[in-house]
Amino acid sequence: MTTTSPTTPRPRARTNVARRSPAAVWWRAYRHHLRLTRNAALAWIAGLTALSAGVAVTVEDRVGSEAERQLLESMHDVPAFEALQGRMVEIGTMEGFTLARWGMFGILLAVWAMLAAVSLLRRAEERGHVEPLRAGVLTPRRLLAAAIAALWTWLAVLALAIGASHSALGFDPPTAWALGGAAALLGATFAAAGALASQLAATRGSAVALAGTLLGAALAVRVAAPATTTPDWLWWATPFGWMGFLHPSDASQATVLVALAALAAVLALAALALGRRDLHAGLVGGEEASAPRARRVGGQAGLALRVTAAAAGTWAIIVGVVTAAFGLLTHDLIDAMAGMATMVELGREMFGMALDAPEGMVGATFFFVAVLLAAAAAGQAAAIREEEASWRIEHLLARPVGRTRWLVTRLLVSAVALLAIALAGGVVAWAATRLGGASVALGDALLGAVNVVPVAWLTLGVGVAILGLAPRATAAATYGLVVAAFLLDFVGPFLELPDRVLDASPLRHVAAAPAADVDVAAALVMLAIGAAAALVGVAAFARRDLKEA
Amino acid sequence: MVDHPVLDLTDAPAEGPQVPAVRMVELTKRYGTLTALNRFSLAIAPGEIVGLLGPNGAGKTTTLRTLLGLLTPSSGTAEIFGIDAWRDPVAAHRHLAFIPGEFAVWPQLTGRQTLDLLGTVWGGYDRAYRDELIERLSLDPSKRGRSYSKGNRQKVAVIAALMTRAPLLVMDEPSSGLDPLITATFQQLLREAKQRGQSILLSSHILSEVEAVCDRVAVLRQGVCVEQGTLAELRHLHATTVEATYVGTPPPLDDVPGVDDAEVGDGVLRLHVTGSPDPLLKALAQAQVTAIQMREPSLEELFHAYYDDRADGA
Repeated sequence: MTTTSPTTPRPRARTNVARRSPAAVWWRAYRHHLRLTRNAALAWIAGLTALSAGVAVTVEDRVGSEAERQLLESMHDVPAFEALQGRMVEIGTMEGFTLARWGMFGILLAVWAMLAAVSLLRRAEERGHVEPLRAGVLTPRRLLAAAIAALWTWLAVLALAIGASHSALGFDPPTAWALGGAAALLGATFAAAGALASQLAATRGSAVALAGTLLGAALAVRVAAPATTTPDWLWWATPFGWMGFLHPSDASQATVLVALAALAAVLALAALALGRRDLHAGLVGGEEASAPRARRVGGQAGLALRVTAAAAGTWAIIVGVVTAAFGLLTHDLIDAMAGMATMVELGREMFGMALDAPEGMVGATFFFVAVLLAAAAAGQAAAIREEEASWRIEHLLARPVGRTRWLVTRLLVSAVALLAIALAGGVVAWAATRLGGASVALGDALLGAVNVVPVAWLTLGVGVAILGLAPRATAAATYGLVVAAFLLDFVGPFLELPDRVLDASPLRHVAAAPAADVDVAAALVMLAIGAAAALVGVAAFARRDLKEA
Repeated sequence: MVDHPVLDLTDAPAEGPQVPAVRMVELTKRYGTLTALNRFSLAIAPGEIVGLLGPNGAGKTTTLRTLLGLLTPSSGTAEIFGIDAWRDPVAAHRHLAFIPGEFAVWPQLTGRQTLDLLGTVWGGYDRAYRDELIERLSLDPSKRGRSYSKGNRQKVAVIAALMTRAPLLVMDEPSSGLDPLITATFQQLLREAKQRGQSILLSSHILSEVEAVCDRVAVLRQGVCVEQGTLAELRHLHATTVEATYVGTPPPLDDVPGVDDAEVGDGVLRLHVTGSPDPLLKALAQAQVTAIQMREPSLEELFHAYYDDRADGA
């Protein structure tokens, strides 16, 4: 029998390996996550700050006269406006007008923060990046904390950027810093929600769905809030509603900041509490079950349909929600517009939209749908690139599948999916408008939908051109062009940019159909440019090396 | 023993067996100033199994990807059964199946769906043979891609390639991730493929696998083919270890061509001989040799010789 003396020396680590403290290891992991998120975060910080600052500096242009100020002030009496925009307070002022805009900007920020968190936590895990980190001295919770801390750091930078820039622009400084802080904390809340969903769900897709449901529910409560007879309490039921109480006259800035900070902290702590889960697992779903009766995929076209369907379905739901919200509110909005001749005139002059008729509202709705469809098209270009970057394409191209056939098939399936999303939006817009008490013909609603498809196809074509010529830039450049086009069209007119610059945005060339005639010439030019770009992309793709991520 | 149907070569090119399954002529691939593959030439006859050896970064994967038309050759040509792999990849690929070393699956598809997809895009596959392969390689095809381990993903890749019964099989580290039992089954499948007349180009780090199944070997180093030939030819180029025992005067070895590292001890001599052993045998005949052992270098020793040369030259 062998006994071991308590003094038996344990095997020693090699002395030339410097041992790092757990804190130092965490710090290295934190910096790693900062680096992973840096480019996207800086782009979002710059974009949102510029968007908000752009709105602030153009308030004076929008409210030139006392009459216009009165008109804007009257908007907050219209529940339909607040349902779309969020709570409005003194929107005739720079602070009030800008804060009201954050009803929408906040949604953009929340979506990014949530997706960034899920991507950082689950995509990395699915790509096998997490094992080497967790195989060291990093515990899953510390790794999760490093990821959340990195995202929160970028959101703190956003707070600084908004606070400093808006103060410099003449904002009431406490309100500027409160806005910066609240925006950052709203982002932090949804980043934490994304992190929590990433612990609950077993896959990235289900984590996005879960976090998206949370976000959608929070938004639905905010949309419903102005319709209640006791307006304030329902606003306070959702973090999107809290953003409406930042105006100095509400004297609630501190409460909003504390509430958002507390919610972000609770969600982050909940995520950390669940953080010690198995790799590739979650509390919902678990290990992928067998699917013995799964249907055949078919050939390459079947695969293209299959991999496009999930993203197309998600975008169809988003477009459906937007068109349903606008449709249901159309009757109330038109009623409100009846007493706002200046507003109607402004809409007609700046956007060519007749906001006092259901057809005009459908046109306005599809302006937003055009932006969403363009983003969906950029997503399709990015998804096509992902097939190459992940090298899955090798399985097909090493078989008798030509590159041209592969790319053209993917392109056509994406183009048809975009058309289908738009048409579904048209049907929902028609049905929701009728449900809301207004009336628009199905043909008119579908015309409004088809009218915005050329913008999406143009984006897809340009995305394919980038895929062919500079594949690694596909996602960033295509999404970047969509954001640039949106900003140019949405903020450009207030910045009094020259027409030649503004005309560079394809969104400027989308007529407000069905109230206005479809601009056939512009649509044909967009289709021609999109087709030419796609041809260039396909030709370049057929001749170049395949490129990994 | 499973009875395999004879390979149907009706889909093979009409030119017949005189056309090489693979023919690379001075194939070169440059990335800017880096030459990943430099004037590599190789021909594989129908029914032949050729191993591609080399350390990491030697250019093996670049060779295979260029052969598959996934990378543009900077110069030179690559043909599959006489069809230019870059100019007409679709026609070329009708005659080959490929097993990558790292099989990136579609996470949402089950193994069976993936096999069906890849078989369909290839132009059809032998369903009975697929089922047999699934059984022999112990794959559960009902699981989704995201839940497969690396080894199981690799099994999907192996089955997807073999079930097509393509006349040429191109493999890049095909058994990476497979356990020893499945690796043995895989090597048996390769031998069966050879018996059916299929050609194989096998890039591998597993020297025993190459030694067990390959007729010929090409060794790449820094993008250059440093050696090519049958295993016997390669061994012939390298030293054979000889150990002999003798009685009386040791044999005269000073001027014997090819003899190296001779150590003469107490009735025992050890030496290496390169090239023909005939002069050595004649020299040994002058002494009273009681026993002789000759051992050819293993592939591993050959491989080390090339790598050590690299280290020496570095």
